[in-house]
This record gives sequence, C-alpha cells and structure tokens, in this order.
Amino acid sequence: MSPGALAAVFAVPFYGALLCVAPAVTKPTVQFGVRIPPERTGATVIGDQRRAYFRRTAVVGVLCTVMAVLLAVHGSRWSPMLVVPIEVAADIGCLLVARRRITAVKRAERWFAGLRPTVVADTSWLADPPLFPVRWLIPALTVTAATVLVGVLRYPELPGRLADGFGAWAAPGHRVPKTPVTAFALVFAQLWVTALWTTIMLIIYRSRPDIEAADPAASVRRYRRFLARCSTAMLALVTLIDLSLLLAALRNWQVYRLSGARQADRSGRPGRRPVLERRPDLRQPRRPGAHGRRAVRRRLDLQPREPGRVAAAVRDRRRPGRAGHHRGAHPVKRSAAAQNMQVP
Amino acid sequence: MFLSIEPDGPVPIYQQIRDRIVEAIAGGRQPAGSGLPSTRQLAVDLGVNFHTVNKSYDLLRREGLLRLNRKSGAVVQRDASSGPPSPDWAEDWTLRLDTLLAEAAAQGMPAEAIIAQCRAAVAEFAFPAEAEGDAPGHRTAIEGRP
Repeated sequence: MSPGALAAVFAVPFYGALLCVAPAVTKPTVQFGVRIPPERTGATVIGDQRRAYFRRTAVVGVLCTVMAVLLAVHGSRWSPMLVVPIEVAADIGCLLVARRRITAVKRAERWFAGLRPTVVADTSWLADPPLFPVRWLIPALTVTAATVLVGVLRYPELPGRLADGFGAWAAPGHRVPKTPVTAFALVFAQLWVTALWTTIMLIIYRSRPDIEAADPAASVRRYRRFLARCSTAMLALVTLIDLSLLLAALRNWQVYRLSGARQADRSGRPGRRPVLERRPDLRQPRRPGAHGRRAVRRRLDLQPREPGRVAAAVRDRRRPGRAGHHRGAHPVKRSAAAQNMQVP
Repeated sequence: MFLSIEPDGPVPIYQQIRDRIVEAIAGGRQPAGSGLPSTRQLAVDLGVNFHTVNKSYDLLRREGLLRLNRKSGAVVQRDASSGPPSPDWAEDWTLRLDTLLAEAAAQGMPAEAIIAQCRAAVAEFAFPAEAEGDAPGHRTAIEGRP
C-alpha cells in the first residue's frame, strides 16, 4: 500500500471518529441542532438519541474503514478518498434521524410552553473584542524564515534536477529542473499554510457568540475561552506543519540523508535504497552533445570499453531484440563496415 | 452590555431595544461616549429587521441620548453625569410618570410599596459619585412636579 493510499485510508476513520463524537462538544441546550430549554437537557429522548447516534456512526465508521482498506488494496491510491463523502453523508443521515425524533418529542410535550423566548446580543463585543494571539504566530514564522535561510544557503550547491513532491505526494523517481520555484516549493507551501490558517482564524475571530439567554455572561466567557484555545491550537498545528515541511525541504535539499544511504555507501552493497541517493550523472555537469557522441560510438562498436561492458555488449548481440542487435545484419559484418568509417 | 428582547412579547421590538439601551445608560453600563453596534450588526445579532433597530436608534437620537455619525456610528451622547435635562423633556416625563404611578394605585398597590419600588429602581442607577442621591436631573424632575 502506497503512502498516499495509507493517508487516504486513515482519513476515513478520522472523519468517522470526528463525526461520532460531534454531539459531545455541542452546547447542552442545542442537541442535534434542536434548541431545548435548560431544564430539558436531561430528557430521556436526548440520551437515547445520543447513544443511538453513537452506535450508528460507529457502525458506519467501521464499515467505511473496511471498504477503504479493500479499495486501497485492490484499487488506486486515491480510491479510498471516495469513501469519505459516503461516510459523511451517512453520518449526516444519522444526525437528521436523531434530530427528527427529538423535534417530534419536543413538539408533542410542548417543552417551551409557558416560557418566553428571549434573544440576547452582546454590544460590548465591539468595544472589547477578543484579541488574536499574534505571539503564537511567531514560531510558525520563525520556522519559515529558517527554511528560507537554509534554502538560500543550499541553493547554489543543489543538483540540476530535484525531487518532485514529498511524502505521500512524491512521484517516485520523478525529478524536475532546478529553478527558484521548484527549489523553494516547500517554502511557498509553508507560507500558504500559515497564511491560510491565519486568515481562517481571523475570520473566526470576527464571528459573534451564540449567547444563552439564561446565562449570557457565562456563555460569552465560554466563547472567548473557546476562541483563545482554538486559535492557540491551530497556530501550534501550523507550526508543526511548517516544521514537517522544513524537514521535507532539508531532505530535498540534501542537507541530511536517510538511514540506509550511509550503510549502502560503506558496505558497497545496494541494500536499502536511500531516498536521497544522488544520481551519478548529476554530480558533474555533462557537456552538450557528449551523450550523443558516446551513444553513436557505442552503437558503432568503436568506443573502447571495460571488460565487463564488452561482455555485456556481446551478450546483448547474442540476444535478438536487445540493444546492440540489428535484425538482418550480422554483427561481425556491421562491425567490419564500421571500422572503415571515420568518426570524429 | 447584554441587550435582551422578547420577540413574542407585547411590547414592540423597537421599543424594547430602546428601553434596554436607556436602562444600560442609566445603569452606567453604557456611559456617554461609548459606542453601540451598527444597526445592521445589532439587527443580525438579535435576528430582527434592520429597520427595526434603525427606528430604535432614531428614537434615542430624538430623545438626545444617542448621536449618530457616519464615521463613528452610534455613540451615547449623555448619561447621568451629563447635567440636567431640558425642561420640556422633564415635563413630558412627569406626565408619563404620573400615569405609571396612577396605574399602580388603581391596581391597589399601597403607597409604601410604590415608593419602595421607586427607591429600588433608582438604587440600580449609576449617578455621579459626588452627587449620589441628589442628581440634578432627578431633583429638577421631582421638584418640578405640581
């Protein structure tokens, strides 16, 4: 199973678990999207529907995970991602079932009878808005700046062709020419991740709290605490993502080599193939046209070869259809004819 | 300041918004110079029509409690420490107070209970510290009664 398929498979139980525990983090007075009075938060139907929702979503999560694993083993590496929308749709269906049953009981028993609905707004949000924790942005920016610094120092020594992508998105063996864009692609990814999540958090900070009319002050305090913790966690996550991108960039820039490369170098045996093994033809710049001349000499059998290479060439000539063999012409005759040619 | 309204209550919503803002100014929770949310923002927060909030703000502006500015938005113009009100306003308020107290008396509420309610209400207001219990506006209105 490829890393991409493995990541796609892990997404299925992750989203399943997230949707499974979603009702546990909602407000007690809003269950499955149904607003209920505070004195009805312990109603029997709510507990029953929460347990039923948990069971249903757990079954959906297990089935979808099994399906994703089967698709990853027998299908392409991205086919397990098709399971995620199916899983989310099934979980939303479970939520709607629970919502409909709670709403039915709420209407039948007239939970809001005798209560006056009240709407509360906090006008102090304008004068005293929650402050965005800018200092939690410093680690992410520091990691990005360090990546830029290392990249600038390493750029002149980088080979002419660089590995394309990283992690699960790496195309095996695919390399791209060295340009500032390809060399600093991971720096751009760091900037993109940092800017995206910071913008999202700033937009969330502009949102207003959903205030409980029964205790508005406590609900506003809870929302301010939620915003502070959520933004702190998100910016810490951004720092970790930037750090992982820094490690990937260091590997792509050949600042370090993975285990296996050193062992292979010392023992001389192939062993475990290192990810960052530098191709021999990338160590020195090739003269233009040199490869073409060497190929012509090899084809015309005029270039002096090492014993092993000559043996390989002879072996190839004995096997029809391989390089060095031409149908309808004897190699000895072709070689004799070639000896009369003047090759510059 | 928490501004609460009852959408299904007997009092019109614009009147409820106006009353809550007046109570916040009197209680010191919204002092002179402090800003209020824009009409659109407050309408979104309360889930009411934009014109409803606009009507409340316009009412407060005509009463001299609010100043509406294109740049600074809605700002509280005066509070308990801003000096005595205009004589016209005091006269109008006295007439309304008479009606309100008459309602209590007509319903059989004893005079002591009416006065106790008035004292309890006044105790929650934020008068200036140096003139507490002897606010100029309060004295003018009471002394001006026939």
